[in-house]
Amino acid sequence: MKRSIWVFHLNTGSCNACDIEVLDVLTPFHDAERFGVKLVTSPRHADAILLTGPVTAESLPKVINAIEAVPRPRIIIALGSCGCGGGIWHDTYSTIGGVNKLLEILKERGIVVDAVYYVPGCPIRPEALLYAVASIKGIVSKKREMKIYKAE
Amino acid sequence: MPLKPLKLLVIAGRRGRVTVKYPYKEPIVTPEFRGEVEIDPAKCIGCGACVKACPPNALEIVESEREIILRYFVGRCIFCWRCVDVCPVGAIKGTRNFELATDKYTDLYTLVAHSRVTCEACGKPVETTRMRRYVVEKVQVAEEYVYLCPDCRRRVFAERVSARRVGSSELEEQ
Repeated sequence: MKRSIWVFHLNTGSCNACDIEVLDVLTPFHDAERFGVKLVTSPRHADAILLTGPVTAESLPKVINAIEAVPRPRIIIALGSCGCGGGIWHDTYSTIGGVNKLLEILKERGIVVDAVYYVPGCPIRPEALLYAVASIKGIVSKKREMKIYKAE
Repeated sequence: MPLKPLKLLVIAGRRGRVTVKYPYKEPIVTPEFRGEVEIDPAKCIGCGACVKACPPNALEIVESEREIILRYFVGRCIFCWRCVDVCPVGAIKGTRNFELATDKYTDLYTLVAHSRVTCEACGKPVETTRMRRYVVEKVQVAEEYVYLCPDCRRRVFAERVSARRVGSSELEEQ
């Protein structure tokens, strides 16, 4: 993606650790605006959604509304272990457990999500988010790959 | 009192540039930082101690008829390194790697597949090959119980105890 990525920060019931790291990324020290990243106040102006938290059942309808409002192509950047896989809340009754279940629900409703980026970390380092942004822009190459070992 | 623009420029010029050039230069990571864990497939015995210790179930054991797979899903890992502490053979090593961002869900998995041994009495698949070898080396007094599954172990033990209680003559009659 060559354009500047304008992001909408969507907290879906996270503990605020990832949110503070998102603020950290926007300070002059890390300065994500080098890559054209800018926080916007409405999902209608956004290219990507920074999704933090394990998507609680209470926040689910609002999350769906917010994602539906983003114009195509939509990108979801799932932050932290809660966003990626539900974190330590992955099997609790009040959360749906991360972005993958959310994608299933969105698919049922016919809402297309063009790309999903996973940024693991608990909380994420500011550099990890910068790395994700840089990999969306194509500046750095992907390091993590699926590893399969055969031990006897 | 707010600073005047000229004064601000002087201060900013003295301070210089603070922004780190992260993706182009090495990140600043302290030695205490905990990142993703690395499983050494040459050492892992598939005992499942890490699975019991893992708070978010990022490490899981997936059992099938032929093999036991240790599955590490880094997307759920909270980097507490409890698995590093509990591993009996030191197969899990903590790294300082945090550059894990990816656009494919499957990239976040690490799988270590172990073959299984079978129970010598009933033929049911039990623990991994390495786990049995590890136990045999550690516990020399286990005799042939170590080659059985937990159910057969209980049955054989009960048979032997009862044989001692009632004497061997009754068993011979049966």
